[in-house]
Order: sequence, then structure tokens, then C-alpha cells
Amino acid sequence: MKISLNWLKEYISFEGDPKALADSLTMAGLEVEEITERGKIPAGIVVGKILERTPHPNSDHLSICKVDSGKGVLQIVCGAPNCDAGKTVPLALEGTSFPDPEGGKPFVIKPCKLRGVESFGMMCSERELGLSEDHGGLMILPDELPAGMDFSQYVTPDTVYTVEITPNRPDWLSHWGVARDVGALLGGKRRFPDTSVPAVEGWESWNDLVEVRERELCPHYTARVIRGVKVGESPAWLKERLNAVGIRPINNIVDVTNFVMMELGEPLHAFDSRFLEGKKIVVRKAAEGEKIVALDGKEYTLDDSMLVIADKVKPVAIAGIMGGEYSGVMPDTQEVILESAYFLPSSIRATSRKLGLSSDSSYRFERGVDPEMIENASNRAAGLILKLAGGSLVSELVNVRSRPEERKRILCRFDKIRSLLGMNPSNEEMIDIFRKLGLLVSDITNDATCLVTVPGFRADIKEGADLAEEIARIYGLDKLPDIPVHATRILPYSADSYAKMEKLRQEFIAAGLCECVNGSFIDEKSALGDPSVAPEDLLKVNNPISPDFAVLRASLLPGMLATVKRNIFQKNTDLALFEIGHVFCANKAKFPEERDEIAVLLTGTRHPERYCAERTEQFDFFDLKGAVESILESRKIKNAVFEACTDARFVKGCAAKLLIGGKEAGVLGKVNEKLTKGMRLASPLFAAVFQADVLLEAETEKILYKELPSFPSTSRDVAFLAPLSLEHAAVTDFIRKAGVKYLTDVKIFDIFQGEQLGEGKKSMAYTLTFRCEDRTLTDEEVNKEHEKLRAKLAEGLGVELR
Amino acid sequence: MLNELLEKLNKISAAVEKEFAAASSAAEIENAKVKFTGRNGSITALAPMMGKIPKEDKPAAGKAFNEAKALVAKCMEEAKERLGESASSAESVDVTLPGRKWPMGTQHPVTKTIDECCAIFRRMGFTVAAGPEIETVANCFDKLNAPIDHPSRDPKDTFYFDDGRLMRTQTSTVQIRTMLAQKPPIRIVSPGRCFRRDTPDATHGVHFHQIEGLYVDRHVTLADLKSTLKAFANEFFGEGVTIRMRPHFFPFTEPSAECDFSCVMCGGKGCRVCKNSGWLEILGCGMVNPNVLRNVDIDPEEWQGFAFGMGIERLTMLKYRIGDLRLFSENDFRFLKQF
Repeated sequence: MKISLNWLKEYISFEGDPKALADSLTMAGLEVEEITERGKIPAGIVVGKILERTPHPNSDHLSICKVDSGKGVLQIVCGAPNCDAGKTVPLALEGTSFPDPEGGKPFVIKPCKLRGVESFGMMCSERELGLSEDHGGLMILPDELPAGMDFSQYVTPDTVYTVEITPNRPDWLSHWGVARDVGALLGGKRRFPDTSVPAVEGWESWNDLVEVRERELCPHYTARVIRGVKVGESPAWLKERLNAVGIRPINNIVDVTNFVMMELGEPLHAFDSRFLEGKKIVVRKAAEGEKIVALDGKEYTLDDSMLVIADKVKPVAIAGIMGGEYSGVMPDTQEVILESAYFLPSSIRATSRKLGLSSDSSYRFERGVDPEMIENASNRAAGLILKLAGGSLVSELVNVRSRPEERKRILCRFDKIRSLLGMNPSNEEMIDIFRKLGLLVSDITNDATCLVTVPGFRADIKEGADLAEEIARIYGLDKLPDIPVHATRILPYSADSYAKMEKLRQEFIAAGLCECVNGSFIDEKSALGDPSVAPEDLLKVNNPISPDFAVLRASLLPGMLATVKRNIFQKNTDLALFEIGHVFCANKAKFPEERDEIAVLLTGTRHPERYCAERTEQFDFFDLKGAVESILESRKIKNAVFEACTDARFVKGCAAKLLIGGKEAGVLGKVNEKLTKGMRLASPLFAAVFQADVLLEAETEKILYKELPSFPSTSRDVAFLAPLSLEHAAVTDFIRKAGVKYLTDVKIFDIFQGEQLGEGKKSMAYTLTFRCEDRTLTDEEVNKEHEKLRAKLAEGLGVELR
Repeated sequence: MLNELLEKLNKISAAVEKEFAAASSAAEIENAKVKFTGRNGSITALAPMMGKIPKEDKPAAGKAFNEAKALVAKCMEEAKERLGESASSAESVDVTLPGRKWPMGTQHPVTKTIDECCAIFRRMGFTVAAGPEIETVANCFDKLNAPIDHPSRDPKDTFYFDDGRLMRTQTSTVQIRTMLAQKPPIRIVSPGRCFRRDTPDATHGVHFHQIEGLYVDRHVTLADLKSTLKAFANEFFGEGVTIRMRPHFFPFTEPSAECDFSCVMCGGKGCRVCKNSGWLEILGCGMVNPNVLRNVDIDPEEWQGFAFGMGIERLTMLKYRIGDLRLFSENDFRFLKQF
């Protein structure tokens, strides 16, 4: 909303710096987003009189005008439709410099040729002068102004604040309301505008004019009739007020209703009584399917929850939101019915939202106008209409009102306010602030409490905490003392559920992986692109933003595949990525509704930054497995086993699952080509997916120091030819169970296949470490055990020793 | 006999010094060594004379032998040292070649900011709490005192499921869960993902991350809130940052305020990022609304507290000067590698 400083000064005196006032308002909760200087007219603009207008020979829309500048007659080419001879207009002479609103180079008026005709200046529209948004034609000035007069003398400079108004403060949606807070902040007495109304002329019975059928939705409705008005242009002062706050002047009647809305915060509406059939106003709910063409020219279909203002047969306005196109003030209107009312905010909000229609009026009603201002606003508008449009009042105020709500009374405890704020305003200071804000203070007792009565314009103040906020705002949050932060330990660190996740994340980073964060919403097809996800697993919201974000991810893999694809497209071909994130499952028999998953993806060269032979080494299955093993090891996870498995996500024969204590913790392998179609992978893609809870809750070995060995170890190698099907795990398992004395470690050091070994064969070679706790072993002892094992291997595993 | 041996060794010693001094390569040094102490070296060749030395002279002879050998070793060391680097060309490395890095991964800037915030607040005595992303209307709106027709509840702005539940729009839901689960004192921060029905663009995404704080105890004040936020501002953005609190409105706090940090780009002088105001709007905060406390069965007469909430993406964008939110979800490797 816009607030004009000149307008504000009609209600409160202020002589200071407009910027300082803006800062004060911002620091009191009325945030000034922008300060604009209005009516700062560039030097060189004078009053001009158009003497002659002839068509431009080379253009349909340009005219050639002769304009009296006060110091001679200038030829000016003009594109405005209204540059008629006889008009008085603002004229920018040669050399006038218009600043660029974007801060760019100024626009300077120079003699020039327009379509071959010379032009020596520019006549201006209101928009060009920054006075309004009107660019439909030249600004027309009163004929009394002499040619050559400095135009800036005609315009009053103003400061306009664009303010952001929080939804709890509808009282700030008016100049009077803002003036109240200015008074509280800076002091000074406020002046309420004149709301006296002339006497009713003649007497007619208008008792039946208004019928309110919906007392709940419209607890207060007033109307009055003004007869004999002459609709016309508003005077300059009124247009200037409206233009300053961005409202387009229309005619004197409508302008007065808008003026009063911006002045007192109460939206008004004027009907032409000719269009009210039966001269009757009925406040009722719309009939289902009833239609109305509103002032914006659009037809709206209403339903039976919406409140309308109707005459005997049809709705003439959508209550509180917008008038009807065919019932408002016309140029030939002679009798107006002026509406001032209170509508239930929730009803206005619901209707406005359903119709997708909002207005300055609905904006105020849905936040709640001051119920105590209804009659004053009507009086104020009636007085102005009579002054500006003539006519006379032919009715008293027709006033249909339910029992008014009582003003809220709040017990204020001074100590509680001080304790909430941590500041120490005195009781007297607090009472003073309440009073300056227009709140009524009574029953001050024992220096401990007082009673605060809240007038209608502050419906947001409901209890003690709201009073504390008023004190904080006006006393000033900048007065909050700097006190040290007291770090008391309230919960044990083990209660910190996030710490475990942080640690896990750091382990994956330490393993050389870069963290990704993908979205929770994805499209259904991608979600099902993970073969482990079934359609019934997917959780869908009712109102997705688009099909691309239709379902919640049931696994991390699709998002990570999309990430890999985007990267490959950017020629980032060497990737080592992971994500830890929330995934969702609708099938609670399969997974909990929400859980955390971990995904790891590897593709491309292992060490792209290295050179020579290492440059070309590509990631393989064992890089992925190794990363996982490192993490398992550093977490001291017990009983972790990798088992070959078949899984549709992975290439057959290159997939494994990780079991921890017999529980499936995840899978890893080479990603199936079906999933990488269209990704233009230059090298294979490896992926692992883990359930975070299984990793985090896995049984771990308690760290207890083991005595370092006092005697040296001895090692022996054993190599053999084995069938391809023999797994490494089977070999180590066999060796460990073979009853070999002193054996402390078995480690593979070579494995290869080749033609020379024969079909279906591979060579495996292991280093065995022997050690005795209490002495150094002799060669003979070791050799004996070594030989024993060799024999057992040949016999038990059927391998050919080498 | 002894004298003859000593004389020969003296001569050889003179030759040793000369020979090594003249050596100009590792090979020549090696040759010199062989010439004196090698299998057929001149010192080695004198060894048989020892047998003929009378018993009483043997110690003196042995000593002379050892001295000669020691001289060879000493001269050889000196020669090697003298030739130094120029001689050991086999050992020279181009130290400007890239090292063989031990690869370390990187942390996504969003989670990096979350972790950093958690670390800062933990130091002030907060515990990090988490909660589900699919929530009830009660936890996300009702109990937080959001008016029944508040626009944020609208299906235009919030994602709903058939069963009436929703995707949480704020992590304040965790505050409600914590207050329902335990009695004060409570001092938590809750980071996490939230969802609003915004069309994705440079500054809006379908999801975003927040961190919210809650501190309820008997004597927590607005002044404590300010100190907490000031400490956070200085830890996260640096010592020079100042803060200011402006009254504002939120349904869940009363009094409410917005907290601005002095612009981290221009230091408060005014720039494009802070729209020449010198201040950046960072977070919303206030004293927990008594209605919220009542909604979770905490007596506002006995307990009071503060709450605050801020956007992780905004903090991250300001800290690393990232201009486009979409970078966070694109996960371009070149982007990830920068953190």
C-alpha cells in the first residue's frame, strides 16, 4: 500500500526528515519498502498553450502543433490523441533532462526531426512527469495558468511510502490509522477529519430501503440517499491525493468513496438508484448459479455461500468485493445510494478466493475494517459528495445493525510484560504508550496491573502478549539489552537425532564421494524407473504442481540417475556421488512411510586428476565395494557379509547385497543398461543403495585395546588353480576352519585367469601369517602347518596346488 | 716392520686425499674406493703384512690400518657431498607435477549450512531434533495458532494427501512434536526439508530447507532471543555482522519480529543485494504465542519462550554468493566440487 506524506500531515503534524519517519515506521513494524519523491519536476518544464494542430503529412497518429511557450511559439510534433488547439499542457523545453527511473542515462530533450518534420520540445503526459500512471494522452492543465509559467510551481512535491502491511493490522490500511502510530512514535496531537453532515432536506420514508437477511455475514449495514448530484471531474486536490497513492481518478462520486477508503480505511460503494429495481437493497446470499457482471467487465457465477447486495430481483454487487457493472455511478447519475457496511472477514475472504477476484475493498474487509468507523465514514463521504457534486441528502442514515460486539478488556500485568521482553519500561511509560495508541487505560491498581480497553480498530489485540508487543514496538526493540547467551545443557547429546546423520554423511565424504541433494517430488515414470519400486509404493499428493512433480520419491536411485544424466550432458563424465535423503513408501508392509536412504554412484575414471597410466583406470565394482567396506570398518560394524544376488537394478552376475547381522542393509552392483538408456555413458555406472537405519543401528564392536604382539610373525604363500566358481569367501572360510595352528591372518595377493591356465580355471594366491603369543616360531613349526594346510586345500577344495 | 707398514700407509693416505679430491662423478668416487679398499685395493693389499708384525707392535699397526680405512670413508663422504645434487640425477623429481591425491568428497552446500547452523546452536545449548515430512494439519497449522482460513493452508500453497495430511510447510511441526512429548525446559533446533506449492524458479523451489529454534523455560525473554540471534549471526557470517529486530506479525509468536543482519555483501553501506538498505531480511522470530503453549498443554503463566525460523537456502546463497536456487538441485559436479 502507498502512504502519501502530504496526506498524512492532514491528521498529524510532522516537520522532520521523511527518511527518518520511514525508519521509525519500519522499526515499529510498518515496513517502508520504498520511498518515492513525487512531483519532483525536472527544470525546463513550463506551461504551454496549444495554438494550432495540423495532421502530420507522413504519419496517421502524429500531429504538428504550434505551442505558445510564453517566450515564443514552438513547432512540436506530438503523438498524443488529445493535443487539440486551445488546450493548456505541460511543455518540456529544449534541454530538459528526465532522469531514468532505472538509474540509467537521463533522457534529454533536443530539437529533432520526427518523420521529416522538425520538433522543438515535448508536451507531457502525467506518467512522463511521474504524477500518475496515466499515459493515455497529455496532462491537461487549467486554462487560467499563464503560458511560460514554471510548471513545478503548479505541482506540490510529496513523499510517497510503499509499505508492507502485516495481516494483523488492517488499521494501517488508511492514512488515519498510520497517523495514529506516527503520533504514538513521535508525539503530537491528531486531527480527525470533518464528519459533520448537513441536515436532511425534505423527508421521505426510506425505512424499507435496506433488508439484511444475513445478519451473521453482515452485522452492520448503512445506506443513505443523496439526490441531485452532478457527476463530473474531481477537483485537482482530490485527484492529486488519489494519484499519489496509485488510484486512478474516475469521477467525483467514485473518487470520494475511494478517498474515504484511503483516509479512514472503510471501503464504500455508491449505487445509482435508477438501477436498483424496487429501490431496494437486499443483503442476502447468492442463489446457486446466479450471475453478475462486475465492474471489471467480467461475468462471475456465484454460489450460495457468497454474500451479495441485491435489489428486488438481481444482485447488484458482490458484497464487499466489487460492484456490478450496471448499477454503479454513470456520467448522468443523479441519485446515489451510498453504502457503508461491515462484512464478516472470513466470508469475504472465502468468496474472493473462490472467485479469484480481489479489490482494494475486499483486501480491507477480509482483514477486518473498524466496526466503529462505519457511520463516520458514511458521514465523511456524504459531506464531501455534497460539497463536490452538489445535491442534497434526502434520507437519514438507514442503519441496520446487530448488537455491537463489546470492546475487549484486558488485564495488563506490568511485570509479566517486562519479563517477556527482558526490557524495563516503567509502568507509567507503558500506560503512556497504550494511551498514545488510542487504547483506553483504567483501573490502575497497586502499581501492578491496569485494565486496557481495546477500541474496534485494534481487533488484533486480544491478550497480555499482544499488549507486550505494543510496548516492544513503540518502546523500541533497539532498546533490547545485550546479554550473554547462557548455554545450559537441557538434553543429553545422545538425544540429538541429527548428530548420527551428520557423522554418517562425513564418512561418505571421507570416502571420496561428493554429496548431492535431489528433490522429493518426481514424475511417476521416473519413480517407477527403479525396478524395486512398485506402483502401490508411490505416495501421491492431491494437488501436484505439475506431472513432473507428481509423486514422492520411493527411492533415491531415479533422482541420482537424473543427476548423472545431467552431468554427462555437461561433459562431467567422471563422477563419484552420494546422497542421503528421505524416501517415502505408501506400502507400509514393505517399508515405513518415511525413511532415510543412502545412494552411491560411481562412473568414469577413478582418478581423472592423475596422469600416466593411472589416468585411464576406470571405476569398477570393487571401488564401490571398497568404499562401503571402509565405512563399515570405520564404524566397527560386526557381521557384515556381501552375498551375490540377482536384482533387476543391476547387471546379472555383478550385483551383491550387504547383510548386517542377517538383515539386508542394501545392494550394490553395476547398473542395468535398461536404467541407463539415453544417458550416453562412456563407461559403466555402479550404484549402491542402503537403508540408513540398518547402518545406523547395526551392532558394532566395542572398542577395547588389544595388547600388541611381543613376538614376530612369519608368513608363507600358497597358490593354486581353482575352478572359476570357487568364491574367495569360500577359500578364506575353509582356511580358517582347517585347524591350522598359529594362523592369524589370510590375505589374497593375486588372482588371474588366462588361456595358459586352461578353460574354467583361475589362479588364486594367498599370504598366510603365523604367530605365536609367547615365543618366536621356528621355521620347522611354520613349515609343518603350511604343508598341512596345502594338503587340506588340495583335498578339501579340490584345487591344484602350484 | 712396523715402520715399513706405517710409511706405506702414509703414502697411500696422501694418494687417497688426492684421488677423491679429483673425482668428478659418482663413478669416479666408486673407482677410487675400489682402488684403496676394494678386494685388490692398495690398503687391502697390505693386510698380509700384519702377520709379520711383532706382537707388541700389533696395536699400533691395527690403529694405522683403521685410520687409513676411516680416511677413505671420510674422503668418500666429502666427495659425495661436494658433488651433491648434480651427481644424483637419478633421484631428481619434478616437484611441480601434481601429487597423487587421496580423494576426499565434498559436502553439498545446503547440508553444509545445516550442519554449520546445528554446530553453532549446539554450542549455545540447543539439541537438534527431527520429525517427519508428512504431517498432520494439527501439527503444521492448528496447534501453531494459524487462523483457520489462513492463506498458507490453501491447497494452492500446500500439498495435501487424500487422508487430509500434508507435506509440512515449516519445521515448526517438530517444535509441536517436542513440546507434546516432553515438558519444559525445552531448547531445540529443527533443521529439515519443507514444501510449498511454488513453481520452481531462480528463488523458489518445490522444496526448501529451514532451521527453526525453540527455547521454553521459566525466564526466557525477548532479550535472550536477540542475544542468541546475534551470536548466530557472528558465528555464521563473521564478527562484523550486526543485527536489528523489527516488529512483525506471525500467528505462532507474540510479540513477533523480523530479524535483519547487516548486509554481508557491502558491510551495511548499501548495495544491490540489500536494495541499498544496508540490511538483509534473514529470519522471523518472536516469543511463543500463549495459544501455542496452551495447545500443547504448557501453562503460559508458568513457562515462556522464544522461537525463530530461517531459510537454509537463503543463508547458503548469501554465504557463498550463489545467485540461482536451481544450482542446488541440479547437482552439477563442477558446482559440488567447489564446496
